Amino acid sequence: MGIKVALVGNPNSGKTTLFNGLTGSNQYVGNWPGVTVEKKSGKYVLDKWEADIIDLPGIYSLSTISLEEEVTSKFVIEKNMDVIINIVDASNLERNLFLTHQLLETDIPIVIALNCMDIIEKRNHKLNVTKLEQLLGVPVIAITASKKKGLLELMHHVQHAAGNIRTVAHHYDEATESSIDRLSAITNDRFLAYRYFEDGLQGLAGIKIDPKMVEVLALIRADEAKRFSLDIDMILPNQRYDRILAICKDVLKKPDYEKESMTDRIDKVLTNRWLGLPIFALIMFSVFFMAFGPVGSWVTDGFVWAISQFFGWISSGIETLGMAPWVSNLIENGIFGGLTSVVGFLPQLAILFLFLSLLEDSGYMSRAAFLMDRVMRRFGLSGKSFIPMLLGFGCSVPAMASTRTLDRDEDRKITTMIIPFMSCGAKAPIYAIFAGALFPNSSYVVVFSMYVLGIVVAILSAVLFKKTIFKGSSANYLMELPEYRIPTVKNAILHTWDRVKAFLIKAGTVLLSAFIIIWFLSYFGFVDGTFRLLQDTELEFSLLGYFGKFILPVFHPIGFNDWRAAVAILTGFVAKESVVGTLGILYGVSGNVVENGSLLFANIRAAFTPAQAYAFMAFALLGAPCIAALSAMSKELHSRKWFVFTVAYEMIVAYAVAFLFYQLGSLSLGDLLSTLFAVAMILLVFASIRRIIKSKGRTCGSCAKCVIKGTCHSPEREEK
Amino acid sequence: MTLKDIRPGEKCIITSINSNNLRKRIIDMGLTTGTSILVKKTAPLGDPMEILVRGYFLTLRKAEARTIEVERTGVFA
Repeated sequence: MGIKVALVGNPNSGKTTLFNGLTGSNQYVGNWPGVTVEKKSGKYVLDKWEADIIDLPGIYSLSTISLEEEVTSKFVIEKNMDVIINIVDASNLERNLFLTHQLLETDIPIVIALNCMDIIEKRNHKLNVTKLEQLLGVPVIAITASKKKGLLELMHHVQHAAGNIRTVAHHYDEATESSIDRLSAITNDRFLAYRYFEDGLQGLAGIKIDPKMVEVLALIRADEAKRFSLDIDMILPNQRYDRILAICKDVLKKPDYEKESMTDRIDKVLTNRWLGLPIFALIMFSVFFMAFGPVGSWVTDGFVWAISQFFGWISSGIETLGMAPWVSNLIENGIFGGLTSVVGFLPQLAILFLFLSLLEDSGYMSRAAFLMDRVMRRFGLSGKSFIPMLLGFGCSVPAMASTRTLDRDEDRKITTMIIPFMSCGAKAPIYAIFAGALFPNSSYVVVFSMYVLGIVVAILSAVLFKKTIFKGSSANYLMELPEYRIPTVKNAILHTWDRVKAFLIKAGTVLLSAFIIIWFLSYFGFVDGTFRLLQDTELEFSLLGYFGKFILPVFHPIGFNDWRAAVAILTGFVAKESVVGTLGILYGVSGNVVENGSLLFANIRAAFTPAQAYAFMAFALLGAPCIAALSAMSKELHSRKWFVFTVAYEMIVAYAVAFLFYQLGSLSLGDLLSTLFAVAMILLVFASIRRIIKSKGRTCGSCAKCVIKGTCHSPEREEK
Repeated sequence: MTLKDIRPGEKCIITSINSNNLRKRIIDMGLTTGTSILVKKTAPLGDPMEILVRGYFLTLRKAEARTIEVERTGVFA
């Protein structure tokens, strides 16, 4: 076992870059129990000396406001490491040194890694590192994390620092330090005394202390608070910043005249009052166009062609081996067929990830959240939720993965739960055949209404969750806009590969077993009393077919009178594309129905009324998503309970909405009337949402009538 | 006067911070009493707003800006 070295620093200060630089290819990503966020740990070896490097979520302060941040602050407060490497972004020295000063209150050895010195030089600023080291009293090493410069020197200092208990300097004025003296007589730890003085019980992050001591501590804190004119929670921060300002004056020399920075100039356009939103729409459209438009589908087609050739080649090889027919059928239809349908997403996924990580690296994503916050707040979410929801129109899988960029666990959960309602690309063929067959004159309106329906249900659900399950919690918004950076292709590709790899592993494990089960259900059945392998055209006799007929009564209230519809919906759980494919098989239509839906029009027209068709589309849209999305969802929700709840919720909503459309739609006959009716329904729902939101509207962040001075004691804060 | 009343291009100094959900975080991000702030702009839809504080760009909602008491100090050239 090596020593434990934790990387602590502000978000976006280059921690992960440093982590990757230090651990190289030895790193592994591990979920640690009890937390919803990924902590990474990896090994660093220098000669015979070994260190476990731990990459923690970025924090601005040890006083936390989210679960993710608590992971880090708890780690520090429990002193779970031998050495802290505090990464400081030199281009943002003032604010970064705030956390440094909190860390300096511990007795853990600290080594400061000063990153982003290149930006300082570019700005013509001069930073005196030696002097900074003197003033802080701990080693300060200038590094360039992205170029792996200075890492060896950094680790030499870490090696040297390990095991030496640091003496904590008394940085505050006499009055403050004497208060701390009183508290630390009880806590027996000066660091905990500082934490308690600053944040009360919350500052101890769940460290167990004697309940009697809690009372004593609270009395002392209240008593001491009277001695200061400032609110008690402001005393330490104010003095820290005073000291930081003095330090910065000493070590940082700026030119008298500063020219407008690149970031300023770019933002004049990108967050411009008039241009900001159109440019945002254009950028998002381009990303979608690349992933799901001609380029994406061209790459996808090529990719799918290549893998089906490859699989076909293997299949024909297997056939010559003369294995049992069910074995080759399993391989061909079950495994290869299933994998092709899922792995077919891969090129689009990769393109999407690539562009998004380029946007993320450049710093544009925070601007997008800044632009959209006003809209998203109406639904109790923050601007950062917009991107994942938008991605949902392409594919739920990357959309759910991108919820990790959200700050708070509640926001991530809600966003993940409503993403499946966004009509993804794979659902489009379903609308195409039903709307084309039954609403020939208004198919565009009908298809569009499905998209609107998805959005409306998503928004209503978000508001509903906010009002019930996540009561009292409102998405906070306080966000730094980082300097624009030119994104590196290498980093973007690494990022993309990481996610693609995770997807492939999943496809090869969880999804593969699901495909085999579904294959078994659809290719085996009883024909004339014997249980045997079925032909493609005999799906009716399969176990799945029987099951479809068996549960058909459940679907009667929502308008499914044909077992084929039930079976088609069921196969949709593998991939939504297969809904149409299955209908093609069941109606005995030859040819590619997914690409040429009109082949199915006659059969659909014979089997469905417009109201039934509309209900079918609504159910396909809102019901539980495909297996790939389900497994992404279970991964992001991190909890079986939430996962089951979400799936059940989606099924119930889908059923209820389809029921409503079918029952009410059946009252009036005819194409036009039911279309009109659907539009009217949507308008009605819209109007009611407006009312709900207007009555809710304001988030707690305002606290307009709140008279409490000092620490806020709203229920949400007390919970933590 | 609160930060919410400061127009883009104007500078101000914080005099106090009233209670809100993010109070401690706002303080820790460097908005302590006596800190000078330059208001850069508001988002196209009128909210949130962007400020320059301690050499970096921070965005916050007007709901929180309303709880930050300030004194206007002038217009940035």
